[in-house]
Parts: sequence; C-alpha cells; structure tokens
Amino acid sequence: MKSVKSSYISGFVEIEVTGKNPENFLQQCARNGIMLWEIKKPHTEQCTARIQLKDVNKVRKLRRGSKFKIRFLDKQGIPFLKKRISRKKPLLIGLFLSLFLFFILSNMVWQVTVTGVPEELEKKITDQLTSYGVYPGALSFTLESPNQIQQLLLEDVPELLWVGVDKKGTSFYLEGVEKLIIEKDEPAAPRHLIADKSGVIQSMYVRKGLAQVTVNEVVEKGEILVSGAIEKLNTNREEGEDGNEEKEYELVAADGEVVATTWYRAEVTVPLTAEHDELTGNSKETYRIKFGSLSIPIWPLTRSESFEHELVETDEHQVNIFGWQPSIYFLTEKRQETSPKYHERSQEEAIQAGIRQVKNDLLRRLGNDAQIITEKVLHETTEHGKVNLSLYITVEENIAARQPINQGD
Amino acid sequence: MKKWHLRLRNLMVDYLALPSDVLLELPRLTMIGNFHLYIENHKGLETYSDTELKLKTTNGYVQILGTSFVLKQMLPEEILLEGEIEEIKYIPE
Repeated sequence: MKSVKSSYISGFVEIEVTGKNPENFLQQCARNGIMLWEIKKPHTEQCTARIQLKDVNKVRKLRRGSKFKIRFLDKQGIPFLKKRISRKKPLLIGLFLSLFLFFILSNMVWQVTVTGVPEELEKKITDQLTSYGVYPGALSFTLESPNQIQQLLLEDVPELLWVGVDKKGTSFYLEGVEKLIIEKDEPAAPRHLIADKSGVIQSMYVRKGLAQVTVNEVVEKGEILVSGAIEKLNTNREEGEDGNEEKEYELVAADGEVVATTWYRAEVTVPLTAEHDELTGNSKETYRIKFGSLSIPIWPLTRSESFEHELVETDEHQVNIFGWQPSIYFLTEKRQETSPKYHERSQEEAIQAGIRQVKNDLLRRLGNDAQIITEKVLHETTEHGKVNLSLYITVEENIAARQPINQGD
Repeated sequence: MKKWHLRLRNLMVDYLALPSDVLLELPRLTMIGNFHLYIENHKGLETYSDTELKLKTTNGYVQILGTSFVLKQMLPEEILLEGEIEEIKYIPE
C-alpha cells in the first residue's frame, strides 16, 4: 500500500477498460508487473482502475492487438499539478506576491504607543525610538529586542525613571515613568507680607521676616503684616557720629501665615416654594448624523414629539476613519421626561436654606483654608412668597499676601 | 512420483515448521473483519464483478461473494479486496 501513496508524487491516471470481461485485461496488466489499484466494475463490460503514470506506455502496448478499449478518465498527482500551475502563471505570481506582502507587512511596525509620560517627554521618546529605527512603517527584522530598546531608552533619555517596552505583534507599547527632577527653589525675591483683607488677627506663624503686628490687632487692607526688611545690627557703628545715620537693611523674602477673622455681608433671596424636577422614567432616544451644520436623523426618521417637561442630553461623537477626522458627527439625543415637583417650606426652613447657600458660595470663593465661625441674620423680610435675608458672616482665613519690595534699581 | 513429492512437503511442514503456503503453493487469505481480504499466492483472476471475485489457485478456485467490491490493489500474485464480504468458497477443479 505504501507504493499507492507515493504514486501521488510520481502521478497516476485513472483508466476505463471497455470490452468483454475487462478484468482479464487487468489481470494481464498485473502479470506484466503493472501495479493497479482502486479497481471497480460498475458494468459487466466496463472496469475502472488506477495505474501509475510510468506504466501508461506499457498499458498502451498491451492494449494493442487486443479487443479492449481504453479511455483515460482522470489525471492526478504532482506532475499534472505542475503542468496545470505552470499554465496559470499570473495566479502563481499573485500567490507568491501575496505571501511576500503578507510576510513583509506582518514584519512591519505599525504602531508605537507611549503611555504614562507627559507629552514633551513622549515626543522625546518617539524621537529617540525613531533614531533606533522603531517607527510606524519600519521593518522589524533589523530591530533590537524590546529589552535592548528598553536599556537604550533608559540610557539616552535621562528623564525616564523606568520604561517598559512590549512588542505585541506589529505594535510597540511603551509605558514610561518620568523621573521627578526636583529643582531647588530659586531664592525668592525680597518681599513683605501684607494684609489682603481687613480683620482681627487670630494667630500668626512667621517663617521668615519680622512681624509688624500682634495677635488681636485690627489690621486694615494693605497694611504690612510681616516685613521683609530686617535692620542690620551694625557692630562697628562708631559712637559720636550723628544719630540719624541711615539704617542698613537686610532684605529677605518674608514668609508665614497670618490667620485673621474677617467679616462678610451677604444678601440672599429664598423662595418659599422650592421647585425641583423628577425623572418619570420615560425617555426617547434619537440618533442623527451631522455634516457641518446640517443634521440628518437616522432613527427615528420622523421628528419625535417632545415631552411637556424634559431633560435633553446630547452626545456628540466625531467620526474617525483611521485617524482621519472629517467634520461628520454622530449625535445621540436622549430626552427624558421630567415632572416638576413643588415643595412648600416654612420661613424657618427657607432661612436655613439661604444660610446654607451663602456659606457654600463663600467657601467656594475663599478656598479650603477658610473656616466659617459664625453667621448672623441681620435682617429678614418676607414678600411675594420670598424671604429676603441679610447675613453677617465671620470667617477665619489666611489674609497674608505677598508684596515684593521695590529695591529701586 | 507426485504423491511422494507431496508427502515430503507435508513432512517438511510438520517437522520443520515451515509455512505451509510457501511450500505447498497454496493461497494465503488474510481477512480483517468482513471488509478487507488480502489474498496472496493466487494463480490469476478468473472473474471479477461488483459482487463476486473468483481466483485461480493451484488446485481449484477461491470464490468470494459479497457486495460493493473494489480491488484496492492488484499485483501479479496479490490482491487486496475491499467490500462487504459474505462468503468464501473453495471450489475444487
């Protein structure tokens, strides 16, 4: 049976023998050393069999002088395949070309992604990578291994603390960690600390400079709190010279915190009926495509009825075709039905709401350091269903502001 | 004379444990289940069809009956038959 399988390589043909008792002819063939296989007899006067390509001439010789007829039905095997392929050269060339292209394209770098680092460092890394030959479109035969690239990058980009280079198929993924280079603060210019607002000083913490005020002192806006000009102790000052000699100052950058109590007045109007919207759960979505200023609905095609009260959310998504962004947008509009709810509140509740609102506004304006100490309602009136409040608020906050000392030159 | 020859051969088979098919020129049939039959040492194909295979042997015929017969391989003295084999008969001359 081995010879049957190997005959595919040398080629074989299927023959059809017609005549009376065709098996006799096959028997004759076998006796002459011709190997036959897959012998079938579909009709009494017809047999099909397979023979090796090299035996075809022998069979022809045997047929001569006999009353059998031979027809060749099928040709199989590599010799025939070769002949067939050589007739279809363009196909063959195409096949090789496609294999070649596939090989080349799959060995190209298609994408280099750098993550985890600021943009300017990213630029630096990509430039460096380009100099190593790692850029979209480069062939990856000659490239160094990811480990070597990692080493090179760490050597050549000093800002990098660590970089991970990962090659996944045709893409390079780089993850970097920037080295935080802490620069020493430049020596600050000489300055005073002055009051930003008027207030009563609660506590002081002076890091540098000479305090000009004390705790519990009332300061006006613009007053110097901590002076940056410190009088020099002149050790070799000579006695006898006139007293109003010019004092020498050492100029420093005053630094510190001055926490003072400040006051604010606020007017606020609070309606007695509060209104808020509740979602009913009914919603409609519409999808549209926008070209410039023209928008075409995709679904639903007809303009849907809007709700009486509604909340509309619009999501714009720019179409991206392989990095090319034409000014085509995909819009998703979600309309949610709401129902307004009215809530009556007492005057006391309205006042509390007003105070809360003012406090929040104030804290937002002053920042996190500020602390509200007390709030007091100075005046309240109720008219047309609204409460008008006049509030007085005490706040503790850092009032120190920097003011550079003008040195004249 | 011929009887004497045969008797010697039989003796050799019995006492020297030589394979009988080689010495006595008898066909050797190897069967796998009922679908493969390997016949060696036959003396020629007598009839072959979809349902019957008749082979000449030294002293008679071997007839194989069944359905959907295909000769998987045919060499001068060997045949591999494939199909549903139902009967194997020896027909003396």
